[in-house]
This record gives sequence, structure tokens and C-alpha cells, in this order.
Amino acid sequence: MAGQAQLIFDEYGQPFIVMREQDKQKRLTGVEAIKSHILAARAVANTMRTSLGPRGLDKMLVSPDGDVTITNDGATIMEKMDVQHHIAKLMVELSKSQDQEIGDGTTGVVVLAGALLEEAEHLLDRGIHPTKIADGYDLACKASLETLDRLADQFPVEDRDRLIETAQTSLGSKIVNRCIRQFAEIAVDSVLSVADLKTRDVNFELIKMEGKIGGRLEDTMLVKGIIIDKTMSHPQMPKELKNVKVAILTCPFEPPKPKTKHKLDVTSTEDFKKLREYEKETFETMIRQVKECGATLALCQWGFDDEANHLLHHHNLPAVRWVGGPEIELIAIATNGRIVPRFAELTTEKLGSAGLVREITFGTSNDRMLVIEECPNNRAVTVFIRGGNKMMIDEAKRSLHDAMCVVRNLVRDSRIVYGGGAAEMACAVEVAKQADKIEGIEQYAFRAFVDALESIPMALAENSGLPPIDTVAALKAMQIAQSNPRLGVDALHKGTNDMQAQKVIETLVSKKEQLSLATQVVRMILKIDDVRVPNDEHEH
Amino acid sequence: MSMMAPPIILLKDGTENKQGKQQIISNINACSVVADSVRTTLGPRGMDKLIVDSKGKTTISNDGATILKLLDIVFPAAVVMCDIAKSQDAEVGDGTTSVVVLAAELLKRSKPFIEEGVHPQMLIRAYSKAAQEAVRYLDSLAVKIEGDSALRDMLVKCAMTTLSSKLVSAEREHFANMCVDAVNILDERLPLNMIGMKRVPGGSLLESRLVRGIAFQKAFSYAGFEMQPKTYAKPLIALLNIELELKAEKENAEMRIASVDEFQKIVDAEWNILYDKLKKIHEAGAKIVLSKLPIGDVATQWFADRDMFCAGRIPQEDLDRTMAACGGSILTTVTQISRDVLGECDKFYEQQVGSERYNFFEGCRKAQACTILLRGGSEQFIAETERSLHDAIMIVRRAKKNDSIVAGGGAIDMELSKHLREHAKTIAGKEQFFWQAFARSFEIIPQQLCYNAGIDATDVLNKLRHKHAKGEKWAGIDIHSEDVKDNMMACIWEPSLVKKNALISAVEATCLVLSIDQTIKAPRTPSGGTLPGFPQQ
Repeated sequence: MAGQAQLIFDEYGQPFIVMREQDKQKRLTGVEAIKSHILAARAVANTMRTSLGPRGLDKMLVSPDGDVTITNDGATIMEKMDVQHHIAKLMVELSKSQDQEIGDGTTGVVVLAGALLEEAEHLLDRGIHPTKIADGYDLACKASLETLDRLADQFPVEDRDRLIETAQTSLGSKIVNRCIRQFAEIAVDSVLSVADLKTRDVNFELIKMEGKIGGRLEDTMLVKGIIIDKTMSHPQMPKELKNVKVAILTCPFEPPKPKTKHKLDVTSTEDFKKLREYEKETFETMIRQVKECGATLALCQWGFDDEANHLLHHHNLPAVRWVGGPEIELIAIATNGRIVPRFAELTTEKLGSAGLVREITFGTSNDRMLVIEECPNNRAVTVFIRGGNKMMIDEAKRSLHDAMCVVRNLVRDSRIVYGGGAAEMACAVEVAKQADKIEGIEQYAFRAFVDALESIPMALAENSGLPPIDTVAALKAMQIAQSNPRLGVDALHKGTNDMQAQKVIETLVSKKEQLSLATQVVRMILKIDDVRVPNDEHEH
Repeated sequence: MSMMAPPIILLKDGTENKQGKQQIISNINACSVVADSVRTTLGPRGMDKLIVDSKGKTTISNDGATILKLLDIVFPAAVVMCDIAKSQDAEVGDGTTSVVVLAAELLKRSKPFIEEGVHPQMLIRAYSKAAQEAVRYLDSLAVKIEGDSALRDMLVKCAMTTLSSKLVSAEREHFANMCVDAVNILDERLPLNMIGMKRVPGGSLLESRLVRGIAFQKAFSYAGFEMQPKTYAKPLIALLNIELELKAEKENAEMRIASVDEFQKIVDAEWNILYDKLKKIHEAGAKIVLSKLPIGDVATQWFADRDMFCAGRIPQEDLDRTMAACGGSILTTVTQISRDVLGECDKFYEQQVGSERYNFFEGCRKAQACTILLRGGSEQFIAETERSLHDAIMIVRRAKKNDSIVAGGGAIDMELSKHLREHAKTIAGKEQFFWQAFARSFEIIPQQLCYNAGIDATDVLNKLRHKHAKGEKWAGIDIHSEDVKDNMMACIWEPSLVKKNALISAVEATCLVLSIDQTIKAPRTPSGGTLPGFPQQ
């Protein structure tokens, strides 16, 4: 039935069409379909393979609009590749889910899935039923997860230094590893300041990342407060304020307008004068209200015209206009202030406070930004990233995000395993031992899973310029001889294989997630034996 | 000759007109083509189908009804097959593939009779009678389950049987328990829409969980939201259908203002309208405000000031479920708001699930709704999990109302087949042949199960026939050991209702297809259907 003749004839030689546009569909069935899927998925995995590990290389992706992205982050590469093939899309989603759930290890999960499929292909050639392979993989995956649970070490979350080391592992493979320590510190400090250690919850919305082209990567800093890309509304307003009382306003400095459609009939000069008078008076009242409650700085979500601006300056009230909604919110949290929707509701209690508000300028450019620091509440922080070009900054943002995710995962669940392929190797050794006890054909799949697990240290060794097979074989022998599950690939040529000594660690959650997600998707791909695709998809 | 007598033109030019025996045969062929496309999904070793529709949306499914819907069948008689799968889906939720496969087999077995010139009505009559007998025998076979713990056990097992053929089969126990728990939370009527399913990509399958209460994704929020508290113990919940925003009260209204003094008054009036509403809600004691319509930034900040939580643009179904779980009622005005119309729950909190923040309401007062949070590797994976769970939940619901079961894995089909074959011998005349054919058709289910699992079907069928002849009425296929086994003992159970419904609709569909002897298909209007650049063949 494969590649089925699309027109079906009945016994009397008359053609009949059962499905709409069936002549325009491409259909693949049986083993052929599975093989073609495996091929597509492996193609994707092979692209990703070279970006694994600390010596992994970056990919440059150019979008249809000419935007250039240079990245090492698996999920980003996959997303920007914009794959068409329906099975390859599954791989993209696989890495996306790892990204959403864990935020790190997005490359590893795709490489593992690719390896599992490669092994499955050999088994299919021997005539093993695809669901049996999937069943075997499931069993092996369970065994590996148990092994990981057993091997996991407790991580001291309170220890800031250890957290920084972990963040360094994640940053090690990224472009920012030039100032790895600094970035790791930023990631750890920012997460710790917003983390709720009691409920083990971290709200990333409270961490703001702001980038600005120029300066060096080393100038990147963590501000315990807020940076907004705005300036004081009047150039003559002071550039630095101390012990500020902030009024956070979501109403414009202008005469209030009813929402209902309205019309004011001005019939005489008197009326017109009255209107002018009224407008001026409202401005004055507003400024007075702000001043009276004791505010020394007004942050406004909306704009105000030059007349109001002049009046503000005249009354010595520094103001900032057009501050975005999310920023207003973060400022309110940081300064312990309240957002005020009307001037009439301003009271002293509703003001926020900040120790220092200053405008900073950059190099020779005329760019200015406003920094609000020394806030009473440290729950909102900003990471301010500098770098030579936009691509660099974007990549730095992504890398930092990954590192923050790692720290967050540790805050959530403090168990760890060792990186550098050590965990995979340990699982492989353990699962191989159990394979002999499995009854039935699943045993083959069980063994295949072991081989697939070894592909991770293999890829690591390859990317680090080590002889892959020698390294992995030696490593395996060493792990078994010393029964030490902490041995991994010495990708940085530091002279030791002990990952505990090298301080290369990964969270248990992340590793477990990688294994189970990869197994799941592989099962899904193996279970498909019939594909119908509209024919024109690939032709045009 | 035809040149001489002008032909009588009865139908519009281009109309397809087929009739007679030939028509029946071609209908039967079409139906078996349809069945062929879902045949391989049957059973625990059944495979999935991947279908990409014209818009490029990918669906991976094992569910007969879903696949047939996506195939977009146009052949008139074959649509019947689609319909029975759909009706099976609506009625019992599972067995959609078996019903199609069974109907196609019945038709296939009728084909030789039609070709030999048997009148279709004879077949139809015999089939209807045989179906009645089969249903009667099925009812007498069904085992009734008594007792609460046994009932729960039975429900779990039925759900597991359904899930065993799906993608999530590795974790079927986990999900079966989840489905049973979910259904047990519901009230007497077992309304399906009170079980919410939320898909969150990421996480492993086993992280899917049942929330005894409500969970939904954080709605779009305005500035001020992050300042609201995110956990409450025993909060009162106001459910609204009111827009809490400064806005024009009436469309198309226009005000003429005589002097500027009135200006401020009007503005104040507008603000007061909103503030009055907010104050009423606050005074009623509500801590959490949910609304179907947007809640604006002013209201968000106002609530934040008073340590209240609010969320706007909540989908209707989530709001309905919250109402079912927490009590209270959905208000369209706040003038009458009071303690009685507010809902209540034990615990409210916001938590990160995957990349989204979710709101959870737990320990609800009425607790007749629940939410299943589905996790998984990719969107398609979760979508298929959702369909599988839907099937399992339907089965549990059905089995709960109708608590008798039969053994699956081809056991019941073989037993029915055996019984009908024996019964056929008591019938005189040529109807006997039709009964025999009808009886043989049931063997397609175990046969297909074997094919899909790559087991020698002839061998297994022979063993099964032998066992059933000896009176082992629950002998069925054991896929895992590739042998024959007592499936009642092996706990492969299905509600008898599933089989009954499948049998009746398959027979009805067969009779319907057999009774058609003419199709008239109006020509397609040239305007629709063809794309520019695609010349019609």
C-alpha cells in the first residue's frame, strides 16, 4: 500500500475518490514512514551536535528580514531554523519544552533524542516492532531515572559560592565565558534577591534585563533597583537626586477628560478665557498636590506637554514621562510605593522611596538612562548588559537567562548530578548491568538505550578535540574500575576527569527531564506508521 | 441508433449518476478504503497516524474518530463510516476504531453475496436479526460489578484497557487513576465540561496531575498586578461578568458641556461609577475578583491597595468551573453583591508551571469540578494525551453509570462469533449463510490485533476458536506474551456498553450502505474548489 496509487478503481474499472484532494496528498506508510522520520529527526540532531559542551561552537542564523543571531543556545537555534518538516518540528518543540520547563540543557535533549532514533533504526532493520522498541526505551529510561535519583548529591543552596560555580557550568559553553565569574555572580545574585525561599518559587518577571550597545562585556552589572531607558523631562532638571520620594502616577498632567464623548461649546471670549484659566489652574493644582504630599520626583506613565513641563520645572519638581506599564510596576515594587491613578488620591503613604536616582550617560553618545537605586525592597532587580554589538548583547541575555534558570532550579530542588557526560555514563553503566535481567525483545532496546546515552560524552569529546571513542571507552572503564559515577569528559583539558573536582555540576531535575522528554518524543515518532501530507508543502 | 432518438435529459449536465449492483460494490470498496486507514491503530500495538492538513497543522493521533475527521472524506457512502465513528465517540467515547473496522468487515463479507445476486434486503434482514441475538447474548455475558472498592477497581481497569493502545500506555496506571479520581469528583450528572484540561508543554508525562479544584493560566495583567498578594487562606471569591474599567457608559452618547466648571464634575462622576463598583465588591468581603471581562489598570491598582487579587478576561468555561467548585454565582451587576453570592475555597495560590504562571484554587466548598494539568514533550504529544484521556474519562463515566463489563482483547468478539455460528445452524434456508458471514465478521477484531502486533493471526485465531469451543468464554489475545489467555483474569476489561454500542452502530451502518442502490451527485459549481495555478484535470 506504500505510496499508494492515489486513484482507486473498483471492479468495473471506474475510478472513485474517497477523500477530498487525495490526489494532492503525499502518503507514506509502514517502516518507510518511520525510516523517513528518523532521517529527518537525526538531521536536526546532527546540526545541534556541534554546539554541545564548553567547547561547542556557535551557529549563525540569518532571518528572512536579515536579522543576524549568533547563538549557542539549543532552543534558540531550533526556533530560528524555522524547520518545515513535520517530524523535525517535533524536535524543535522538544527543545522548546526543555527550555520552558528547565531553561538549560536544550541541546543535550535533542542530541539524545537523535541518538535514540539512530539506535532504533538498527533495531527496526532487525525487524523489531516499533512499539516494542519504545517499550524497551521506556523501561531503560525508568531505570536511568532511578539511577540518577540514587546518584544525586544534595546541594547547599545557602552557599553562594557553590551556586556561582553551578552557574559557571551553564555559562561555560556560551560566548560570555570571557567574564564567566562576573556573569555567574550576576545570575546568582539576581535570582536570590527575587527568590522566595520558603515556597521555593522564583518569579522571573521581577528580573528586568536591559541592554545597551557600547562599553565592554565586563561593564555588565546588576542593579539592585530599576533602570529605565528614559530621562528627566526637562533638560535643566537635576541629574542626581538623593533620598527621593517618588510619586508613581498613571494619570497624565493635563486637564482630566471624561471617557464619554463630549463637546464643550465656547461661545464667547469670556468663556475662552475661563477655559484657559481652568487649564492653568488644573496644572497648578496637580503640581501642588504632588508637592504637598512630599514627593520629590514624579514618574508618569503618560506624557505631558511642554507647558506642563515648564511648570514642573518652575516648581522644582523633577519628572519623568512615558514610563512603561511593566516598569511602573517594578518601580512600585522596588520603592514600596503605590501606583496612583488620580492626583486627588495622592497621599504621603502612597509615595515610594529610593536612596538615589541618577541619570547615567554613556561614552560620547548622547544616550542617557535613569537609575533608581538603594530601594527599600530588593525584590525587583535589573541586569544591565553592555557589549560591543546587538548580537553580543542578545546572546549575553540568553546565556544569563539560562544560568538564572539553573540557579532557579537549584532553589526549587537542590539535588544535583555531575556534568561533563558523567551522569549519562553512570546511567549507561548501570542500565547495561540491568539489561541482562530483562525478558523478551525489549532487552535489545534496553541495550540500544545504553549506546544512545554514551553519545552525549561522545559528542562532548568530539567537540573538545579529543578522540571520541578512546575517551569514552577509557572513561567507561574508569567508572567501572573505580566505581566512581563522578567521572566525566575532561572537555577543558584541566587534567582531571573527576567532575566533582572540576565543579561541573548539573541539576538533577534538568537531567531527568532531558531523559524523559527525549524518550517520550522518540516513542511518539516511532509510533507513527502512516503520514498524509499535502503534496504542495515542499514543492513551492 | 442513439442519433435517431434524442436522449431524454433528466439531470443537469455533469451530474454523476450510478446505480445498481455496481453501485453497492463500489460503496463497499470505498468503505473498506476508509477502514484501511484506521485499521492499524487498533490495540496496544497499534500505530499512530500523522496527518498534516492543508493549513500545515500537524496532528498525531491514535483515535479513530479524530483520524477520520481529519481525512476529510467526500465519497458519499464512505461518509457513513465517519459518522459511526463520530457517533461512537459521542456516545461512549471509545471503540471508534473497532466500530469502523467491524462495519467494513461486515460489508466485505457481504460483497460475495451481492456479486452472486442476493438481494440486499435479504442480507439486511438477516443481519438485523443476528445483531439482536448478539446483543441479547452480550447482555447475558456481561459481568456486573458490586461494591464500592470493587467498582473503583473496575473503573481503573476499564480506563487502563482504553489507554493501553494510546501513546501514554507506559503510564496507563497513573492516568487511569487520575481519570477515575476526576470523574468521582463530579456530581450525579457527571458533566464532562466540569473536568478542565490544561496543556502545559514541558515536563515529563508523570508530572501531569489532577488538581482537586481549579487551575488556570494567569490572565493578562495590568500594572499593579505584581503588587497584589498571591496566596490566600480561605478567601471569598467574587465571580463577575463586569468590565471594571473607566469607560464610556453608553456608546454613541455625546455630552454638551456648557461651562468648564462642569467638566470636573463629569470626570468625577465617571470615576465614582467605577469606584462605587469596586467599593461594593470590597465591602462584600471578597478577596479574589475574577471577571470574564477586562479589569483595567485603575481597578487592578485599587485592589492591590487593599490586598485583594483580581484577574480579568477569564474564559467562560474556567469561570463556570470555578463557580461549580467554589460556589457563588456569576454576577452581572454589583448592586446586589453580598456574602451569599461569593464563592469560597480553602487555599488560593499562584505557581509557576512550565513557563507559565498558574492560579490554583484548592479545597473548594462544593468541589464538583476539577482540573487536569497535562505535561509532555511537545504540543502534539499533549494534544494526543488529552484525546486519550478524554476517551478514558468517557469510558469511566459510562462504566460508572452502567457497571457491567466484558473481557477485551478479542475475547468478547470471539465468544459472540462462536455463539452466532452455533445459532446459525438452527436456521433453515439461505439465511443461514448470512448468519455465518455475520458471525465470521467478529473475528476481524482479534485478527487485526494480531496483525498490528506482528503475531501470526491464523495460529492465534485457531487457538482462540478451539478454546471458545471448549467453553472458555473469556479467552482472548495476550499481546505481551503473544499468546492466548483468559482476559477476564488478566483484567483487560471493557464496559459492555462500548461493545454493545459498537455492534449496533456497525450493523446499522452496514445495512444502510447495503440498501443504497443509486447515488446522484450534483456537479460541483466551478467557482469553488479549484485554486489558481491548479488546472483541473
